[in-house]
Amino acid sequence: MADEQDKKPLKKKSNHDPGRRRFLKGVGIAGAGAALVDHLTLSTDAKTESATADTGAKPVTRNVNIILDVNGQKRTVSVEPRTTLLNALRNNLDKPLTGPKLVCDMGTCGACTVLMDGKPVYSCLVLAVDAVGKKLTTVEGLGTPESMNSVQAAFVEHDALMCGFCTPGFVTTISAYLKKNPNPTLEEVREACKGNFCRCGTYPRVFEAALAAAKKS
Amino acid sequence: MQQQQAPPKKKKKIKVPKVINGVETMVEVEVDDEGGPVWGPNGKHAILNHRLTRVDAPLKVSGAAEYTYDKNPPGLLYGRVVRSPYAHARVIRIDTSAAQRIAGVKAIVGATNEDVVEGSNRAADVAEKKDNMDLGSAKAPQKKERIVRFAGEPVVAVAAITPEIADDAVRAIKIEYEVLPHVVRAEDAIKEGAPKVYPDGNLEPKEKRGDAAKVEASFKEADVIFEAEYRTPILHHSCLETHGNLVDYRGGDSATVYASTQGTFTIPGDAAKELGLKESAVTAVVEHMGGGFGSKFGIGIEGKFACQLSKQAKAPVKLMLTRKDEFLLAGNRSGSWQKFKAGVTRDGKVIALLATQYQLGGLGDGSQAGQPYIYTVPNFYRERISIHTNEDASRAMRAPGHPQASFGIESLMDELSYKVGIDPVEFRKKNLKDEVYHRQLDRGAREIGWERRNKTPGGGSNPLKRGMGCAIGTWGGGGGPQCKVEVGIARDGSVSVAVGTQDLGTGTRTYTRAIVAEELGLQINDVVEHIGNSKLGAANASGGSTTTASLAPAVKDAAVNARLSIAEKLSPLLGGAKPEEISFSQGRVAGGGKTLTWKQACAALPSAGITAHGEWKSNLQSRGVHGVCFAEVEVDVETGHTRAIKMVHVQDIGLPLNRLAIESQINGGMIQSLGMALFEGRVMDAALGLQLNPGFGDYKIPGSFEIPELVPLIDDEDKREAVIGVGEPSIIPAVGAVVNAVFNACGVRVRELPITPDKILMGLSDRRTV
Ligand code: FES
Ligand code: FES
Repeated sequence: MADEQDKKPLKKKSNHDPGRRRFLKGVGIAGAGAALVDHLTLSTDAKTESATADTGAKPVTRNVNIILDVNGQKRTVSVEPRTTLLNALRNNLDKPLTGPKLVCDMGTCGACTVLMDGKPVYSCLVLAVDAVGKKLTTVEGLGTPESMNSVQAAFVEHDALMCGFCTPGFVTTISAYLKKNPNPTLEEVREACKGNFCRCGTYPRVFEAALAAAKKS
Repeated sequence: MQQQQAPPKKKKKIKVPKVINGVETMVEVEVDDEGGPVWGPNGKHAILNHRLTRVDAPLKVSGAAEYTYDKNPPGLLYGRVVRSPYAHARVIRIDTSAAQRIAGVKAIVGATNEDVVEGSNRAADVAEKKDNMDLGSAKAPQKKERIVRFAGEPVVAVAAITPEIADDAVRAIKIEYEVLPHVVRAEDAIKEGAPKVYPDGNLEPKEKRGDAAKVEASFKEADVIFEAEYRTPILHHSCLETHGNLVDYRGGDSATVYASTQGTFTIPGDAAKELGLKESAVTAVVEHMGGGFGSKFGIGIEGKFACQLSKQAKAPVKLMLTRKDEFLLAGNRSGSWQKFKAGVTRDGKVIALLATQYQLGGLGDGSQAGQPYIYTVPNFYRERISIHTNEDASRAMRAPGHPQASFGIESLMDELSYKVGIDPVEFRKKNLKDEVYHRQLDRGAREIGWERRNKTPGGGSNPLKRGMGCAIGTWGGGGGPQCKVEVGIARDGSVSVAVGTQDLGTGTRTYTRAIVAEELGLQINDVVEHIGNSKLGAANASGGSTTTASLAPAVKDAAVNARLSIAEKLSPLLGGAKPEEISFSQGRVAGGGKTLTWKQACAALPSAGITAHGEWKSNLQSRGVHGVCFAEVEVDVETGHTRAIKMVHVQDIGLPLNRLAIESQINGGMIQSLGMALFEGRVMDAALGLQLNPGFGDYKIPGSFEIPELVPLIDDEDKREAVIGVGEPSIIPAVGAVVNAVFNACGVRVRELPITPDKILMGLSDRRTV
């Protein structure tokens, strides 16, 4: 995945767990505290049993209010314990964000990348309740159409986008990476982008843009 | 706009592509036979044919561009589909009672037998599909029959207040099936007694061409006769924005549909039918769109469901497919299985070719360009046949049928060239009539450094072996007369251009603005474009690379009319200069020895400003492009791993509207084609009839590590002063170029894609034991 690699060589283990269910159970419960265990158990049970047994009419949801620190603003949002950070940002915020995209919902594409305390994470693999107390930055927080950051401006200049659906993910990943490594080589940029997919095939120009942005800043 | 009085126009008949579901057929239309506006020489433009950054890029890089997926009106419900887990089955009973009791579930609808997934329909079945089945509580009497014919076929859809609850509802719906025999492999489907996918069987002849007896006879004159089979698997479009729509219908007599589509105007009719409204009462909106590649025409079964759910719930419903849905039911590029027998003379002329071309499109027909494709072979006979399997129906995918055909014939040509010992480039030239290919081959060879190439495939002792290959493609890319464009100029100097077309990431917004800006002597940012709305002027769907050749001429025509119209109004201020003689450039309007700034000029317009219209002009566009790709690869003969080092694509295109965007598109074509060569392919479990890799974790698309140095070259020797669409050609030849480069590198000819390391290692060991 896109985080964690820095100047280290390629071998470094990524810290995301591709098995989403294990992720939800394990990290979710550990991170969210005891009050949430019941809800999680409830929803997990419903998941596994509903295929075979009639689980009855119970709603499987109970919302909790949490405060997320998004792009410098504290925002109260009502989520289910199982709601991913991505869905919370896109669906549950009272003014929803549109930058992070849902493409695979399982940590393979990087379109949902946001920064958590400055580090890129796949927000589809993070529970919203686990993002409490963290500083979250989405692509909207990096720059606006009127005032783009250097990576965004370089993307425009170098035509590093076509349909643009993958673009917020790439911009976010690269913006964070250049903070850690302001002077990367092409190979390091490739490495930084290895957790992001683009189907239109913008890679060569994404690399160009990243290198150009590094030069400028 | 000011109508000029003109004598009745002379008409002529021409053939233009009409694209249905992304696939072109040629139809005859009548157009004006007159000069009309011209583009002028390709080298003489102030804005066009330059490197223009995208006008929508700032929105996209900052997350502010709203795609269908991003629309989020108050009261929105989230839709999900329930898919069949069986490749072939009869639905016996659907129990939605548990799902209905989940708080937050607002609507549940079931597919009738008419709601078949696009392309998976056959005349023979229509009769049996007439009846709907009832659904709902377990008690509802079970009257009608519903058959699913591929694993993943949607049966039920739900809408709920959150996507999480919609998922709960999906899990709570119980469907009982009677499982029927299925077949998912082409080899199995043609066996005697194979389960029938359609009542009339699994084979469907599509085309026969040529004289088989003559071909057989001419094999006698050949010095070498060679037979081979080539296969490609089913591929996935893998658009990052999945298929889907947001249907906003809260009762009443109008509705809005936000659609992730390649055809804004394909939506209202489909939705109106589902909602019981007039077509004109439905507005389709497509502001930004996250990739289509041929798979997104019409509203689709997911859109029908969204309509039904919205109607039932009286609330906006957004039903975007999940990634897994997308793999299982959103169409595919058909696989191919081509059998060749070729006869070639010692001096490198292919004189006879027999080709059997199977199109593997699941429930759909699939597609394949007919062989010998671009080559001139004096005696050939081909048969194209669809083989049906229990898989979702193929759809158009970027140059439907061409990469498969190009891979087949280009592999064959390459093999033949080595058989007779002639350089592969020279060999191709001997069998290509069209000089443009010769020119492009020379340019590509120069660019990649063809003379450096490995003279003996697999030679040398270094385990990292480099090799080069080339291949060729062709495409149409002409336009047709659907577009209606309006240009408006206000007294404050603002300029707008409006047409209902869509921008798939191809740069439509940008060149639409650019054409108007250039005509009026303004900067690109002085113009605002309004697109992506079916209430704006008509436009064609984006298939067959027809968008630009259809739209750009109409935009030009509207811009010219706007210019003449202003000029006429300004003539008195400019010493009575004739409208055609008033010049518009660099933000100034000049004539009769006087000059006005754009603002001054517009201030003199009537209070309503000016509105001008434009239509398609056949002389502003053309069709027919070539395209050559060269690839250099490195094969590690110890691991079997192949890495692309460099790829060069040479593309003619007539007048390039925006060089930057065109190069990006050529890069994208090469990359997708590289994916086809090395990584991509649907994997089916024959016994279970299930896809084993319906996700990006297992279906590998090219990522940052796999991207070679890419050289997209616009062939400026093409002097046509006409616009031609070029979205598709760049995906065609690269696959063959890579495959041929792999052979040149390591001596292993892989005839079944993708070229995975196991195939290389297997090939190497066979070679060693021979
Ligand atoms: S949506 Fe999160 S990684 Fe793909
Ligand atoms: S620009 Fe379309 S997916 Fe990257």
